[in-house]
Amino acid sequence: MGSIENLVTQIQGLSGSVDDIAHLHNILKIADESLHAEPSALSSVLDQVDPAKHSLGYLYFLEAFTFGPVSKEQALTLIPILARFINCCDAQQIRFAPDKFVSVCKRFKDHVLLIESPLRGVSPMRAAVRKLQTTSEHLTTLHPDFLLLCILSKSYNIGLSVLEDDIFDVDQPRDLFLYCYYGGMICIGQKRFRKALELLHNVVTAPMNTINAIAVEAYKKYILVSLIHYGQFSTSLPKYASSAAQRNLKNFCQPYIELATTYSSGKIAEFKVYVDTNREKFDNDKNLGLVKQVVSSMYKHNIQRLTQTYLTLSLQDIANTVQLGSPKEAEMHVLQMIQDGEIFATINQKDGMVRFLEDPEQYKTCQMIERIDSSIQRIMTLSRKLNAMDELMSYDPLYLSKVLFPQVGRERQRFDFDDFDTVPQKFPI
Amino acid sequence: MDFGDLKEALASQSYGQIADICDHLMLQVAAEGVAFQEEWPYAIHLLGHIYADDINSARFLWKSIPSSIKESQPEVVAAWKIGQHLWTRDYAAVHEAICGFDWSQEVRGLVASFAEQYTKRMFRLLSSAYSTISLQDAALFLGMSEDDAANYVLQQGWDFDPTSRMLTVKQQQAVTDQKLDPSKLQRLTEYVFQLEH
Repeated sequence: MGSIENLVTQIQGLSGSVDDIAHLHNILKIADESLHAEPSALSSVLDQVDPAKHSLGYLYFLEAFTFGPVSKEQALTLIPILARFINCCDAQQIRFAPDKFVSVCKRFKDHVLLIESPLRGVSPMRAAVRKLQTTSEHLTTLHPDFLLLCILSKSYNIGLSVLEDDIFDVDQPRDLFLYCYYGGMICIGQKRFRKALELLHNVVTAPMNTINAIAVEAYKKYILVSLIHYGQFSTSLPKYASSAAQRNLKNFCQPYIELATTYSSGKIAEFKVYVDTNREKFDNDKNLGLVKQVVSSMYKHNIQRLTQTYLTLSLQDIANTVQLGSPKEAEMHVLQMIQDGEIFATINQKDGMVRFLEDPEQYKTCQMIERIDSSIQRIMTLSRKLNAMDELMSYDPLYLSKVLFPQVGRERQRFDFDDFDTVPQKFPI
Repeated sequence: MDFGDLKEALASQSYGQIADICDHLMLQVAAEGVAFQEEWPYAIHLLGHIYADDINSARFLWKSIPSSIKESQPEVVAAWKIGQHLWTRDYAAVHEAICGFDWSQEVRGLVASFAEQYTKRMFRLLSSAYSTISLQDAALFLGMSEDDAANYVLQQGWDFDPTSRMLTVKQQQAVTDQKLDPSKLQRLTEYVFQLEH
């Protein structure tokens, strides 16, 4: 007990400058084991440390204090303590011990899920993500947890704010898989299909040694969203996708591949029959809602295809070709598509005709120039990033040893970096 | 719960901010562990999303409302009815849902403002999507009687043929700013320069 009192004094004294905190961190690392030995003694000392001023010390106490499984009642008392700490802790201090902070936040997430009120965790978790990440390009382990809470509490629009950041820096591969998968679900919920495709695509094509469940589920949704958004799906993955994904993904998603094949025929009746006979499979995957959206997207894509062939067409003909019940129904479909900017057309009710038009955009307004300009800027930033990464890689001894001296790697199971001291630092490509 | 910001937004008719204010406040009170559901202004929150044309968020909010509240507060159900018709694109039914409920003093301004905005939006849609349309349909879309609808669109320059009862739409020319600022040209020149060197 005496040692804990001692520790409290040190925490109070050493939470000022960066040097002090670094020193304090060493002391805490040594004390960590003894803290875990008697977590019950910590409840009284938690009050003596200020979560905002002595964040690092508080973090160590809190982590030890909340260690181990809890009951629902205990979770109810712990949640406010954890939420308060996450909201008011000092970002610089907690970044000294990111692992501790992550485990405290994960426990917080588990607790709010235990008491079945995910909404309670959304705001603190968002704060936690912002405090833990060094830049907005940094994907932390807490990102997926935050998105999960958003999905479970149905606050999809809150999750979108985080998804707008471009990610370049990832701690753990699993974080990226889950982040992109949950992110994809949020974008699907908000009908941002393009962004959803981008995120799901990232899961499917990410490097992986063996196939994983997240990639399989992402691939299923990727197929469906691709049909909704583009009206087609290509089964071949890009070359940079891992060979594990290339070889195995399709085998795990057979009903979805067949769905895409049936879709490509453009015959709505056959497609509906296929959906009905496989209804249970889609329902078990919790993808039935998305499959239904695929069905209604088929009318849309069929109408869109007509615009490529005809200049004018009667509503009756549209109804016949895309198998809608009546000209009125066809009119409503066309109207919705005009509203969403998916086709350009005018309806003539008097003659019952639709005239398809060209895209009126002439790419000469100020707004369009702004857009092009910002795209160029983004691409330039991206290209600078790629160059920097490329350069970094060409210095990397591990990479060099594999690419330039594959025989060396094969001959010796283990190799020292010192062996390659004579390797020049940079290579012309 | 501090509804100060929300009251202020309602009073100053800054209806576009309502959804954000409500979202923010809800997360805040939820994080504090307050049991807010019973007192939460769900109708205003729903209408805020609807006003901001974010039907997806309105739908998710509706899904998260406890069933006891859906049963005890008819205004919440009425607010969602508007959202539901927007969701299913039942254009005429949106107007019915707006008129079919006696809105409380608090939300009346918000609903009226949405109705006005929605009529304008419908008019823009009709202008861009139709070359001719029957008066009957136009009235349904605009949520007006046929006479009112005829007056409304004639003022915008449309023509009416009494024998066929058809309206001929006058396409609206959208005026967009096409004047280029020299600094933009400068920047584009720099890009090209950079690409060539």
